[in-house]
Amino acid sequence: MPLDTSTYNLALLRVDGRRWNELRRVHAQIRTQAAADGSSYLEMGHTKVMCVVTGPSEPGPRRGTGGGGAGGGGAAAGAGAKAEVVVSIVIAGFSSVDRKRHGRGDKRTLELQSTVANALAASLHTHLFPHSQVNISLHVLSQDGSLLAALINAATLACVDAGIPMTDYVAACTAGSTSTYAANDEGADPLLDLNHQEEQELPGLTVATLGESDRVVVLVCESRVQVSRLEGMLAVGVDGCKQVREILDRVVREKGRRMVQEGTVEKGIGLNEMDVD
Amino acid sequence: MPREAEPSLNEKQFVIQALQENLRLDGRELDQYRPLELSFGDQYGLADVKLGKTRVLAKATAEVTVPYTDRPLDGIFTIATELGPMTSPAFEVNRPTETEVLLSRLLEKTVRRSGALDTESLCLVAGQKCWSVRVDVHVLSHDGNLIDASCLAVVAALRHFRKPDTSMEAGVLTVYTPAEREPVPLSWLHSPFCVTWSFFGEEGEIAVLDATWIEEQVRVGSCTVSLNKHGEICQIAKLGGTPVEAVALLQCVSVSLTKVKEFSDLLDRKLAEDLKRRDKGGFMAELRAENDR
Repeated sequence: MPLDTSTYNLALLRVDGRRWNELRRVHAQIRTQAAADGSSYLEMGHTKVMCVVTGPSEPGPRRGTGGGGAGGGGAAAGAGAKAEVVVSIVIAGFSSVDRKRHGRGDKRTLELQSTVANALAASLHTHLFPHSQVNISLHVLSQDGSLLAALINAATLACVDAGIPMTDYVAACTAGSTSTYAANDEGADPLLDLNHQEEQELPGLTVATLGESDRVVVLVCESRVQVSRLEGMLAVGVDGCKQVREILDRVVREKGRRMVQEGTVEKGIGLNEMDVD
Repeated sequence: MPREAEPSLNEKQFVIQALQENLRLDGRELDQYRPLELSFGDQYGLADVKLGKTRVLAKATAEVTVPYTDRPLDGIFTIATELGPMTSPAFEVNRPTETEVLLSRLLEKTVRRSGALDTESLCLVAGQKCWSVRVDVHVLSHDGNLIDASCLAVVAALRHFRKPDTSMEAGVLTVYTPAEREPVPLSWLHSPFCVTWSFFGEEGEIAVLDATWIEEQVRVGSCTVSLNKHGEICQIAKLGGTPVEAVALLQCVSVSLTKVKEFSDLLDRKLAEDLKRRDKGGFMAELRAENDR
Protein backbone atom coordinates (compact mmCIF):
# COMPACT_ATOMS: atom_id res chain seq x y z
CA MET A 1 0.00 0.00 0.00
CA PRO A 2 1.59 3.34 -1.03
CA LEU A 3 1.88 5.89 1.72
CA ASP A 4 -0.28 8.71 0.42
CA THR A 5 -0.64 10.47 3.73
CA SER A 6 3.10 11.21 3.83
CA THR A 7 2.62 14.77 2.63
CA TYR A 8 1.06 15.68 5.98
CA ASN A 9 4.31 17.07 7.37
CA LEU A 10 4.62 19.63 4.57
CA ALA A 11 1.37 21.52 4.88
CA LEU A 12 -0.11 20.01 8.03
CA LEU A 13 -3.16 19.20 5.94
CA ARG A 14 -4.55 15.70 5.61
CA VAL A 15 -5.48 13.93 2.36
CA ASP A 16 -8.98 15.39 2.42
CA GLY A 17 -7.81 18.88 3.41
CA ARG A 18 -8.64 18.75 7.10
CA ARG A 19 -6.47 19.92 9.99
CA TRP A 20 -5.50 17.41 12.68
CA ASN A 21 -8.39 18.26 15.00
CA GLU A 22 -11.24 18.52 12.51
CA LEU A 23 -14.12 16.10 12.25
CA ARG A 24 -15.57 15.27 8.89
CA ARG A 25 -19.05 16.57 8.12
CA VAL A 26 -21.53 14.76 10.29
CA HIS A 27 -25.06 14.73 8.97
CA ALA A 28 -27.76 12.95 10.92
CA GLN A 29 -31.50 12.56 10.87
CA ILE A 30 -33.84 10.83 13.27
CA ARG A 31 -37.30 9.38 12.73
CA THR A 32 -36.57 8.44 9.15
CA GLN A 33 -38.83 5.36 9.13
CA ALA A 34 -42.37 6.10 10.22
CA ALA A 35 -43.23 2.48 10.93
CA ALA A 36 -40.33 1.76 13.26
CA ASP A 37 -40.21 2.49 16.98
CA GLY A 38 -37.04 4.43 16.44
CA SER A 39 -34.87 5.09 13.44
CA SER A 40 -31.95 7.19 12.35
CA TYR A 41 -29.67 7.90 9.43
CA LEU A 42 -26.12 9.05 9.99
CA GLU A 43 -23.30 10.16 7.74
CA MET A 44 -19.77 10.74 9.00
CA GLY A 45 -18.03 11.92 5.88
CA HIS A 46 -18.71 9.20 3.34
CA THR A 47 -19.54 6.54 5.92
CA LYS A 48 -23.31 6.16 5.77
CA VAL A 49 -25.32 4.10 8.22
CA MET A 50 -29.01 3.52 8.72
CA CYS A 51 -30.50 2.25 11.95
CA VAL A 52 -33.90 0.91 12.97
CA VAL A 53 -34.86 0.09 16.55
CA THR A 54 -37.76 -2.15 17.48
CA GLY A 55 -38.76 -2.51 21.06
CA PRO A 56 -38.57 -2.87 23.93
CA SER A 57 -40.92 -5.66 23.00
CA GLU A 58 -41.66 -9.24 23.87
CA PRO A 59 -38.82 -11.44 22.66
CA GLY A 60 -39.66 -13.63 19.71
CA PRO A 61 -39.45 -17.41 19.70
CA ARG A 62 -35.95 -17.19 18.24
CA ARG A 63 -34.66 -15.87 21.55
CA GLY A 64 -31.06 -16.63 22.43
CA THR A 65 -30.01 -17.64 18.96
CA GLY A 66 -29.38 -14.10 17.70
CA GLY A 67 -25.84 -13.37 16.61
CA GLY A 68 -24.92 -10.34 18.67
CA GLY A 69 -27.07 -10.72 21.72
CA ALA A 70 -25.90 -8.93 24.82
CA GLY A 71 -27.94 -9.08 27.95
CA GLY A 72 -27.89 -5.88 29.94
CA GLY A 73 -24.86 -7.16 31.82
CA GLY A 74 -24.00 -10.86 31.74
CA ALA A 75 -24.67 -12.74 28.53
CA ALA A 76 -28.36 -13.58 28.47
CA ALA A 77 -28.16 -13.97 32.20
CA GLY A 78 -30.64 -13.19 34.91
CA ALA A 79 -33.41 -14.97 33.00
CA GLY A 80 -34.92 -11.72 31.76
CA ALA A 81 -34.42 -9.43 34.76
CA LYS A 82 -33.23 -6.87 32.24
CA ALA A 83 -34.09 -6.17 28.63
CA GLU A 84 -31.78 -7.85 26.19
CA VAL A 85 -30.14 -5.70 23.53
CA VAL A 86 -29.84 -7.57 20.25
CA VAL A 87 -27.94 -5.97 17.40
CA SER A 88 -27.79 -7.14 13.84
CA ILE A 89 -25.53 -5.50 11.32
CA VAL A 90 -25.86 -5.84 7.57
CA ILE A 91 -22.95 -4.57 5.54
CA ALA A 92 -24.16 -3.94 2.02
CA GLY A 93 -22.10 -5.49 -0.77
CA PHE A 94 -21.87 -2.13 -2.54
CA SER A 95 -20.68 -0.26 0.56
CA SER A 96 -16.97 -0.37 -0.14
CA VAL A 97 -14.87 0.10 -3.26
CA ASP A 98 -14.35 -3.58 -3.95
CA ARG A 99 -17.59 -5.47 -3.87
CA LYS A 100 -17.43 -8.07 -1.15
CA ARG A 101 -19.92 -10.57 0.13
CA HIS A 102 -20.21 -10.39 3.88
CA GLY A 103 -21.68 -13.55 5.27
CA ARG A 104 -23.86 -13.51 8.33
CA GLY A 105 -21.35 -15.55 10.30
CA ASP A 106 -18.48 -13.20 9.54
CA LYS A 107 -16.44 -12.93 12.74
CA ARG A 108 -15.73 -9.25 12.27
CA THR A 109 -19.43 -8.48 11.92
CA LEU A 110 -20.22 -10.61 14.98
CA GLU A 111 -17.61 -8.67 16.94
CA LEU A 112 -19.09 -5.34 15.79
CA GLN A 113 -22.56 -6.53 16.78
CA SER A 114 -21.47 -7.54 20.22
CA THR A 115 -19.55 -4.28 20.71
CA VAL A 116 -22.51 -2.08 19.74
CA ALA A 117 -24.86 -4.17 21.90
CA ASN A 118 -22.63 -4.01 24.96
CA ALA A 119 -21.93 -0.31 24.48
CA LEU A 120 -25.62 0.60 24.37
CA ALA A 121 -26.56 -1.82 27.15
CA ALA A 122 -24.27 0.25 29.39
CA SER A 123 -26.31 3.39 28.76
CA LEU A 124 -29.86 2.10 28.27
CA HIS A 125 -31.91 1.56 31.41
CA THR A 126 -32.55 -2.05 30.55
CA HIS A 127 -33.67 -2.90 34.08
CA LEU A 128 -36.93 -1.00 33.45
CA PHE A 129 -38.00 -3.58 30.87
CA PRO A 130 -37.71 -7.08 32.26
CA HIS A 131 -38.46 -10.04 29.97
CA SER A 132 -38.13 -7.94 26.85
CA GLN A 133 -35.82 -7.31 23.99
CA VAL A 134 -34.54 -4.24 22.17
CA ASN A 135 -33.76 -5.02 18.55
CA ILE A 136 -31.30 -2.72 16.84
CA SER A 137 -30.70 -3.37 13.19
CA LEU A 138 -28.00 -1.44 11.44
CA HIS A 139 -27.41 -1.19 7.72
CA VAL A 140 -24.11 0.00 6.37
CA LEU A 141 -24.68 1.75 3.05
CA SER A 142 -21.24 3.18 2.48
CA GLN A 143 -17.90 2.72 4.20
CA ASP A 144 -15.15 5.28 4.44
CA GLY A 145 -13.46 4.63 7.76
CA SER A 146 -14.70 5.03 11.34
CA LEU A 147 -17.34 2.37 10.77
CA LEU A 148 -17.70 1.29 14.39
CA ALA A 149 -18.01 4.92 15.52
CA ALA A 150 -20.74 5.60 12.97
CA LEU A 151 -22.61 2.44 13.99
CA ILE A 152 -22.57 3.42 17.66
CA ASN A 153 -23.68 6.99 16.94
CA ALA A 154 -26.51 5.86 14.68
CA ALA A 155 -27.69 3.30 17.24
CA THR A 156 -27.64 5.94 19.99
CA LEU A 157 -29.77 8.32 17.91
CA ALA A 158 -32.26 5.58 17.04
CA CYS A 159 -32.58 4.59 20.71
CA VAL A 160 -33.25 8.23 21.60
CA ASP A 161 -35.92 8.31 18.91
CA ALA A 162 -37.43 5.10 20.22
CA GLY A 163 -37.81 6.80 23.58
CA ILE A 164 -35.95 4.16 25.55
CA PRO A 165 -34.70 5.69 28.81
CA MET A 166 -30.95 6.06 28.79
CA THR A 167 -28.28 7.67 30.97
CA ASP A 168 -26.77 9.80 28.24
CA TYR A 169 -25.67 9.76 24.63
CA VAL A 170 -23.00 7.20 23.74
CA ALA A 171 -20.94 9.22 21.28
CA ALA A 172 -18.06 7.71 19.35
CA CYS A 173 -15.29 8.78 17.04
CA THR A 174 -11.83 7.66 15.93
CA ALA A 175 -8.40 9.07 16.54
CA GLY A 176 -5.06 8.26 14.98
CA SER A 177 -1.44 9.24 14.97
CA THR A 178 0.74 10.34 12.07
CA SER A 179 3.58 8.05 13.06
CA THR A 180 3.78 4.49 11.89
CA TYR A 181 4.90 1.95 14.47
CA ALA A 182 8.30 1.74 12.87
CA ALA A 183 9.02 5.45 12.80
CA ASN A 184 9.77 6.45 16.35
CA ASP A 185 9.58 10.16 15.67
CA GLU A 186 8.65 12.50 18.47
CA GLY A 187 6.90 15.05 16.28
CA ALA A 188 3.97 12.78 15.46
CA ASP A 189 0.63 14.55 15.62
CA PRO A 190 -2.56 12.94 16.80
CA LEU A 191 -5.37 13.03 14.24
CA LEU A 192 -9.12 13.14 14.75
CA ASP A 193 -11.68 11.14 12.79
CA LEU A 194 -9.80 8.92 10.32
CA ASN A 195 -11.11 8.20 6.85
CA HIS A 196 -10.59 4.90 5.09
CA GLN A 197 -7.22 5.79 3.58
CA GLU A 198 -5.82 7.03 6.88
CA GLU A 199 -7.22 3.99 8.66
CA GLN A 200 -5.31 1.73 6.28
CA GLU A 201 -1.99 3.49 6.69
CA LEU A 202 -1.85 4.96 10.17
CA PRO A 203 -2.35 3.53 13.64
CA GLY A 204 -5.71 4.49 15.09
CA LEU A 205 -8.33 3.70 17.67
CA THR A 206 -12.07 4.02 18.15
CA VAL A 207 -13.34 5.64 21.34
CA ALA A 208 -16.88 5.96 22.63
CA THR A 209 -17.67 7.96 25.73
CA LEU A 210 -20.76 8.40 27.81
CA GLY A 211 -22.22 11.89 27.56
CA GLU A 212 -19.97 14.79 28.49
CA SER A 213 -17.86 12.79 30.90
CA ASP A 214 -14.40 11.38 30.22
CA ARG A 215 -15.64 7.88 30.86
CA VAL A 216 -14.83 5.48 28.08
CA VAL A 217 -17.41 2.88 27.05
CA VAL A 218 -15.62 1.45 24.04
CA LEU A 219 -11.93 1.55 23.23
CA VAL A 220 -10.81 -0.48 20.25
CA CYS A 221 -7.34 -0.32 18.77
CA GLU A 222 -6.48 -2.73 15.98
CA SER A 223 -3.10 -1.50 14.86
CA ARG A 224 0.42 -1.58 16.19
CA VAL A 225 1.40 1.63 17.94
CA GLN A 226 3.84 2.77 20.61
CA VAL A 227 2.42 2.95 24.14
CA SER A 228 3.54 6.59 24.38
CA ARG A 229 1.22 7.51 21.49
CA LEU A 230 -1.85 6.17 23.27
CA GLU A 231 -2.33 9.06 25.67
CA GLY A 232 -2.37 11.67 22.93
CA MET A 233 -4.67 9.63 20.72
CA LEU A 234 -7.06 8.91 23.57
CA ALA A 235 -7.18 12.57 24.62
CA VAL A 236 -7.99 13.69 21.08
CA GLY A 237 -10.54 10.88 20.71
CA VAL A 238 -12.35 11.74 23.94
CA ASP A 239 -12.43 15.38 22.91
CA GLY A 240 -13.84 14.37 19.53
CA CYS A 241 -16.55 12.33 21.24
CA LYS A 242 -17.67 15.48 23.06
CA GLN A 243 -17.95 17.30 19.73
CA VAL A 244 -19.92 14.39 18.29
CA ARG A 245 -22.21 14.43 21.31
CA GLU A 246 -22.97 18.12 20.70
CA ILE A 247 -23.86 17.33 17.08
CA LEU A 248 -26.11 14.43 18.05
CA ASP A 249 -27.78 16.56 20.71
CA ARG A 250 -28.41 19.33 18.20
CA VAL A 251 -30.00 16.85 15.79
CA VAL A 252 -32.38 15.56 18.45
CA ARG A 253 -33.34 19.03 19.71
CA GLU A 254 -33.87 20.35 16.19
CA LYS A 255 -36.15 17.43 15.34
CA GLY A 256 -38.08 17.94 18.58
CA ARG A 257 -38.51 21.65 17.92
CA ARG A 258 -39.76 20.97 14.39
CA MET A 259 -42.23 18.36 15.60
CA VAL A 260 -43.66 20.80 18.14
CA GLN A 261 -43.96 23.45 15.44
CA GLU A 262 -45.70 21.09 13.07
CA GLY A 263 -48.07 20.06 15.82
CA THR A 264 -47.09 16.38 15.64
CA VAL A 265 -46.55 16.40 19.37
CA GLU A 266 -47.64 18.80 22.05
CA LYS A 267 -44.90 20.47 23.97
CA GLY A 268 -44.12 18.64 27.18
CA ILE A 269 -46.61 15.89 26.48
CA GLY A 270 -46.27 12.84 28.57
CA LEU A 271 -43.71 14.41 30.83
CA ASN A 272 -46.06 14.63 33.79
CA GLU A 273 -47.44 11.14 33.65
CA MET A 274 -44.02 9.64 32.96
CA ASP A 275 -42.98 7.19 35.62
CA VAL A 276 -39.58 8.40 36.73
CA ASP A 277 -37.90 5.94 39.02
CA MET B 1 -29.04 -24.39 24.14
CA PRO B 2 -27.43 -25.47 27.40
CA ARG B 3 -26.41 -22.73 29.71
CA GLU B 4 -23.77 -22.57 32.39
CA ALA B 5 -25.06 -22.62 35.95
CA GLU B 6 -24.98 -19.09 37.25
CA PRO B 7 -23.44 -18.21 40.58
CA SER B 8 -26.07 -17.60 43.22
CA LEU B 9 -26.99 -14.14 44.44
CA ASN B 10 -25.09 -14.74 47.68
CA GLU B 11 -21.94 -15.79 45.88
CA LYS B 12 -22.13 -12.76 43.62
CA GLN B 13 -22.57 -10.34 46.50
CA PHE B 14 -19.78 -12.00 48.45
CA VAL B 15 -17.32 -11.62 45.59
CA ILE B 16 -18.28 -8.01 44.92
CA GLN B 17 -18.20 -6.96 48.55
CA ALA B 18 -14.82 -8.59 49.05
CA LEU B 19 -13.44 -6.79 46.01
CA GLN B 20 -14.68 -3.51 47.39
CA GLU B 21 -12.53 -4.21 50.44
CA ASN B 22 -9.58 -5.01 48.15
CA LEU B 23 -9.84 -8.72 48.88
CA ARG B 24 -10.07 -11.62 46.47
CA LEU B 25 -11.39 -15.08 47.17
CA ASP B 26 -8.02 -16.73 46.59
CA GLY B 27 -6.08 -14.14 48.58
CA ARG B 28 -4.30 -12.55 45.65
CA GLU B 29 -3.56 -8.87 45.18
CA LEU B 30 -5.81 -7.12 42.66
CA ASP B 31 -3.01 -6.95 40.10
CA GLN B 32 -1.54 -10.38 40.72
CA TYR B 33 -1.75 -13.35 38.39
CA ARG B 34 -2.42 -16.88 39.53
CA PRO B 35 0.59 -19.19 39.47
CA LEU B 36 1.49 -19.62 35.83
CA GLU B 37 2.89 -22.89 34.57
CA LEU B 38 4.21 -23.33 31.06
CA SER B 39 5.47 -26.62 29.72
CA PHE B 40 6.37 -27.97 26.30
CA GLY B 41 5.64 -31.40 24.88
CA ASP B 42 8.06 -33.90 23.39
CA GLN B 43 7.12 -32.82 19.90
CA TYR B 44 8.01 -29.39 18.64
CA GLY B 45 5.21 -26.85 18.82
CA LEU B 46 3.16 -28.18 21.70
CA ALA B 47 2.63 -25.77 24.58
CA ASP B 48 0.60 -26.35 27.71
CA VAL B 49 -0.32 -23.33 29.83
CA LYS B 50 -1.82 -23.65 33.29
CA LEU B 51 -3.08 -20.51 34.96
CA GLY B 52 -4.59 -21.62 38.25
CA LYS B 53 -7.32 -24.03 37.21
CA THR B 54 -7.47 -22.72 33.66
CA ARG B 55 -5.59 -24.95 31.26
CA VAL B 56 -4.99 -24.32 27.59
CA LEU B 57 -3.12 -26.49 25.11
CA ALA B 58 -1.84 -25.12 21.81
CA LYS B 59 -0.37 -27.19 18.99
CA ALA B 60 1.35 -25.72 15.97
CA THR B 61 1.58 -27.72 12.74
CA ALA B 62 2.79 -26.95 9.25
CA GLU B 63 2.09 -28.40 5.84
CA VAL B 64 2.93 -27.46 2.27
CA THR B 65 -0.02 -26.07 0.29
CA VAL B 66 -0.89 -23.71 -2.53
CA PRO B 67 -0.96 -20.02 -1.48
CA TYR B 68 -4.05 -17.86 -1.88
CA THR B 69 -4.29 -16.46 -5.38
CA ASP B 70 -4.55 -12.86 -4.17
CA ARG B 71 -1.41 -13.26 -2.00
CA PRO B 72 1.04 -15.35 -4.02
CA LEU B 73 4.08 -14.25 -1.99
CA ASP B 74 2.66 -14.98 1.46
CA GLY B 75 2.35 -18.19 3.38
CA ILE B 76 -0.82 -19.12 5.23
CA PHE B 77 -1.16 -18.67 8.96
CA THR B 78 -4.32 -19.61 10.82
CA ILE B 79 -5.32 -19.83 14.46
CA ALA B 80 -8.19 -22.18 15.24
CA THR B 81 -9.88 -21.99 18.60
CA GLU B 82 -12.05 -24.71 19.93
CA LEU B 83 -14.25 -24.48 22.98
CA GLY B 84 -15.85 -27.88 23.30
CA PRO B 85 -18.26 -29.35 25.81
CA MET B 86 -15.25 -30.64 27.76
CA THR B 87 -14.45 -27.07 28.75
CA SER B 88 -17.86 -26.18 30.02
CA PRO B 89 -21.39 -27.43 29.34
CA ALA B 90 -22.25 -24.04 27.86
CA PHE B 91 -20.07 -24.69 24.82
CA GLU B 92 -21.32 -26.84 21.99
CA VAL B 93 -19.42 -28.25 19.06
CA ASN B 94 -19.98 -26.44 15.75
CA ARG B 95 -21.93 -23.62 17.29
CA PRO B 96 -19.53 -20.84 18.20
CA THR B 97 -20.69 -18.82 21.18
CA GLU B 98 -19.94 -15.15 21.59
CA THR B 99 -17.03 -16.01 23.90
CA GLU B 100 -15.44 -18.17 21.25
CA VAL B 101 -15.86 -15.62 18.46
CA LEU B 102 -14.39 -12.83 20.57
CA LEU B 103 -11.52 -15.07 21.71
CA SER B 104 -10.58 -16.06 18.19
CA ARG B 105 -10.86 -12.48 16.95
CA LEU B 106 -8.61 -11.29 19.77
CA LEU B 107 -5.97 -13.94 19.09
CA GLU B 108 -6.18 -13.15 15.41
CA LYS B 109 -5.66 -9.43 15.99
CA THR B 110 -2.96 -9.93 18.61
CA VAL B 111 -0.81 -12.51 16.87
CA ARG B 112 -1.68 -12.47 13.18
CA ARG B 113 -2.51 -8.88 12.34
CA SER B 114 0.30 -7.46 14.45
CA GLY B 115 2.72 -9.33 12.17
CA ALA B 116 4.30 -11.50 14.86
CA LEU B 117 4.98 -14.23 12.32
CA ASP B 118 6.68 -13.22 9.11
CA THR B 119 4.31 -14.83 6.59
CA GLU B 120 6.51 -13.91 3.64
CA SER B 121 9.17 -16.29 4.94
CA LEU B 122 6.64 -19.13 4.60
CA CYS B 123 6.60 -18.78 0.82
CA LEU B 124 8.48 -21.57 -0.97
CA VAL B 125 7.68 -21.08 -4.67
CA ALA B 126 5.83 -17.85 -5.46
CA GLY B 127 2.22 -18.58 -6.34
CA GLN B 128 2.68 -22.34 -6.23
CA LYS B 129 3.94 -23.65 -2.92
CA CYS B 130 3.96 -22.26 0.57
CA TRP B 131 3.87 -23.39 4.16
CA SER B 132 0.53 -23.30 5.89
CA VAL B 133 1.12 -22.86 9.62
CA ARG B 134 -1.84 -23.64 11.80
CA VAL B 135 -2.21 -23.34 15.55
CA ASP B 136 -4.99 -25.25 17.23
CA VAL B 137 -6.02 -23.91 20.61
CA HIS B 138 -7.73 -26.41 22.87
CA VAL B 139 -9.18 -25.15 26.11
CA LEU B 140 -9.05 -28.05 28.51
CA SER B 141 -10.37 -26.36 31.61
CA HIS B 142 -12.07 -23.00 32.03
CA ASP B 143 -11.63 -21.07 35.24
CA GLY B 144 -11.58 -17.57 33.83
CA ASN B 145 -9.09 -15.52 31.85
CA LEU B 146 -9.08 -17.75 28.78
CA ILE B 147 -7.76 -14.90 26.66
CA ASP B 148 -4.44 -14.36 28.43
CA ALA B 149 -3.80 -18.08 28.80
CA SER B 150 -4.65 -18.85 25.15
CA CYS B 151 -2.53 -16.02 23.84
CA LEU B 152 0.46 -17.16 25.87
CA ALA B 153 -0.07 -20.75 24.69
CA VAL B 154 -0.26 -19.70 21.03
CA VAL B 155 2.87 -17.56 21.20
CA ALA B 156 4.76 -20.25 23.16
CA ALA B 157 3.72 -22.97 20.70
CA LEU B 158 4.82 -20.93 17.70
CA ARG B 159 8.14 -19.93 19.27
CA HIS B 160 8.79 -23.58 20.16
CA PHE B 161 7.73 -24.94 16.78
CA ARG B 162 10.23 -26.14 14.16
CA LYS B 163 9.22 -26.70 10.56
CA PRO B 164 11.05 -29.16 8.28
CA ASP B 165 13.97 -27.66 6.43
CA THR B 166 13.63 -27.18 2.67
CA SER B 167 15.90 -26.44 -0.22
CA MET B 168 15.42 -25.33 -3.83
CA GLU B 169 17.81 -26.69 -6.40
CA ALA B 170 17.28 -26.27 -10.13
CA GLY B 171 13.57 -25.76 -9.67
CA VAL B 172 13.14 -28.85 -7.50
CA LEU B 173 11.79 -28.31 -4.03
CA THR B 174 13.00 -30.77 -1.41
CA VAL B 175 11.45 -31.06 2.03
CA TYR B 176 13.81 -32.83 4.41
CA THR B 177 12.68 -35.17 7.16
CA PRO B 178 13.91 -34.42 10.70
CA ALA B 179 16.42 -37.30 10.34
CA GLU B 180 18.03 -35.77 7.27
CA ARG B 181 18.22 -32.20 8.48
CA GLU B 182 17.44 -30.53 11.76
CA PRO B 183 14.04 -28.69 11.53
CA VAL B 184 14.24 -24.89 11.53
CA PRO B 185 12.35 -22.41 13.73
CA LEU B 186 9.82 -20.00 12.25
CA SER B 187 10.86 -16.48 11.39
CA TRP B 188 9.46 -14.75 14.44
CA LEU B 189 9.39 -10.96 14.68
CA HIS B 190 7.99 -10.07 18.09
CA SER B 191 6.04 -11.75 20.89
CA PRO B 192 2.74 -10.11 21.81
CA PHE B 193 0.92 -11.03 25.02
CA CYS B 194 -2.62 -10.27 26.18
CA VAL B 195 -3.41 -8.78 29.57
CA THR B 196 -7.08 -8.69 30.50
CA TRP B 197 -8.48 -6.29 33.06
CA SER B 198 -11.86 -6.80 34.66
CA PHE B 199 -13.77 -3.90 36.11
CA PHE B 200 -16.04 -3.97 39.13
CA GLY B 201 -18.13 -1.45 41.03
CA GLU B 202 -20.80 1.07 39.99
CA GLU B 203 -18.37 3.26 38.08
CA GLY B 204 -15.98 0.47 37.10
CA GLU B 205 -13.44 1.93 39.53
CA ILE B 206 -12.01 -1.41 40.72
CA ALA B 207 -9.64 -2.88 38.15
CA VAL B 208 -8.60 -6.49 38.62
CA LEU B 209 -6.14 -8.65 36.70
CA ASP B 210 -6.57 -12.32 35.86
CA ALA B 211 -10.19 -12.76 36.91
CA THR B 212 -11.36 -16.25 37.81
CA TRP B 213 -14.56 -17.70 36.37
CA ILE B 214 -16.74 -16.44 39.20
CA GLU B 215 -15.21 -12.97 39.01
CA GLU B 216 -15.86 -12.95 35.26
CA GLN B 217 -19.53 -13.71 35.92
CA VAL B 218 -19.98 -10.63 38.12
CA ARG B 219 -17.71 -8.11 36.41
CA VAL B 220 -19.26 -5.03 34.81
CA GLY B 221 -16.74 -4.66 32.03
CA SER B 222 -13.41 -5.85 30.73
CA CYS B 223 -10.54 -4.54 28.68
CA THR B 224 -7.90 -6.64 26.94
CA VAL B 225 -4.60 -4.99 26.09
CA SER B 226 -2.03 -6.74 23.89
CA LEU B 227 1.53 -5.54 24.00
CA ASN B 228 5.02 -6.78 23.29
CA LYS B 229 8.03 -6.17 25.50
CA HIS B 230 9.19 -3.26 23.33
CA GLY B 231 6.17 -1.26 24.48
CA GLU B 232 4.18 -1.56 21.29
CA ILE B 233 0.43 -1.92 21.58
CA CYS B 234 -0.81 -4.62 19.20
CA GLN B 235 -4.45 -4.35 20.06
CA ILE B 236 -6.79 -2.91 22.69
CA ALA B 237 -10.33 -4.16 23.09
CA LYS B 238 -12.78 -2.69 25.52
CA LEU B 239 -15.96 -3.81 23.83
CA GLY B 240 -18.67 -1.98 25.72
CA GLY B 241 -19.57 -2.56 29.34
CA THR B 242 -19.68 0.00 32.13
CA PRO B 243 -17.79 3.18 31.24
CA VAL B 244 -14.37 3.60 32.82
CA GLU B 245 -12.39 6.82 33.30
CA ALA B 246 -9.92 7.39 30.47
CA VAL B 247 -7.11 8.05 32.95
CA ALA B 248 -7.73 4.72 34.67
CA LEU B 249 -7.45 2.94 31.31
CA LEU B 250 -4.09 4.59 30.62
CA GLN B 251 -2.94 3.44 34.05
CA CYS B 252 -4.08 -0.11 33.21
CA VAL B 253 -2.08 -0.06 29.97
CA SER B 254 1.13 0.99 31.72
CA VAL B 255 0.74 -1.75 34.38
CA SER B 256 0.07 -4.22 31.54
CA LEU B 257 3.45 -3.40 30.06
CA THR B 258 5.28 -4.59 33.19
CA LYS B 259 3.21 -7.80 33.19
CA VAL B 260 4.00 -8.40 29.53
CA LYS B 261 7.71 -8.05 30.26
CA GLU B 262 7.33 -10.72 32.96
CA PHE B 263 5.56 -13.05 30.49
CA SER B 264 8.24 -12.41 27.93
CA ASP B 265 11.02 -13.26 30.41
CA LEU B 266 9.18 -16.39 31.53
CA LEU B 267 8.75 -17.59 27.96
CA ASP B 268 12.39 -16.90 27.08
CA ARG B 269 13.53 -18.77 30.19
CA LYS B 270 11.29 -21.78 29.51
CA LEU B 271 12.37 -21.96 25.88
CA ALA B 272 16.03 -21.89 26.91
CA GLU B 273 15.40 -24.66 29.48
CA ASP B 274 13.64 -26.77 26.88
CA LEU B 275 16.47 -26.27 24.42
CA LYS B 276 18.95 -27.43 27.06
CA ARG B 277 16.84 -30.49 27.80
CA ARG B 278 16.77 -31.47 24.13
CA ASP B 279 20.46 -30.86 23.61
CA LYS B 280 22.12 -34.23 23.99
CA GLY B 281 25.64 -32.84 24.06
CA GLY B 282 26.15 -31.97 20.44
CA PHE B 283 27.18 -33.87 17.36
CA MET B 284 29.81 -36.07 18.99
CA ALA B 285 27.38 -37.35 21.60
CA GLU B 286 24.91 -38.36 18.87
CA LEU B 287 27.59 -40.36 17.07
CA ARG B 288 28.59 -42.27 20.18
CA ALA B 289 28.54 -46.03 19.72
CA GLU B 290 27.87 -47.17 23.27
CA ASN B 291 24.42 -47.29 24.79
CA ASP B 292 23.19 -45.92 28.11
CA ARG B 293 22.12 -49.38 29.19
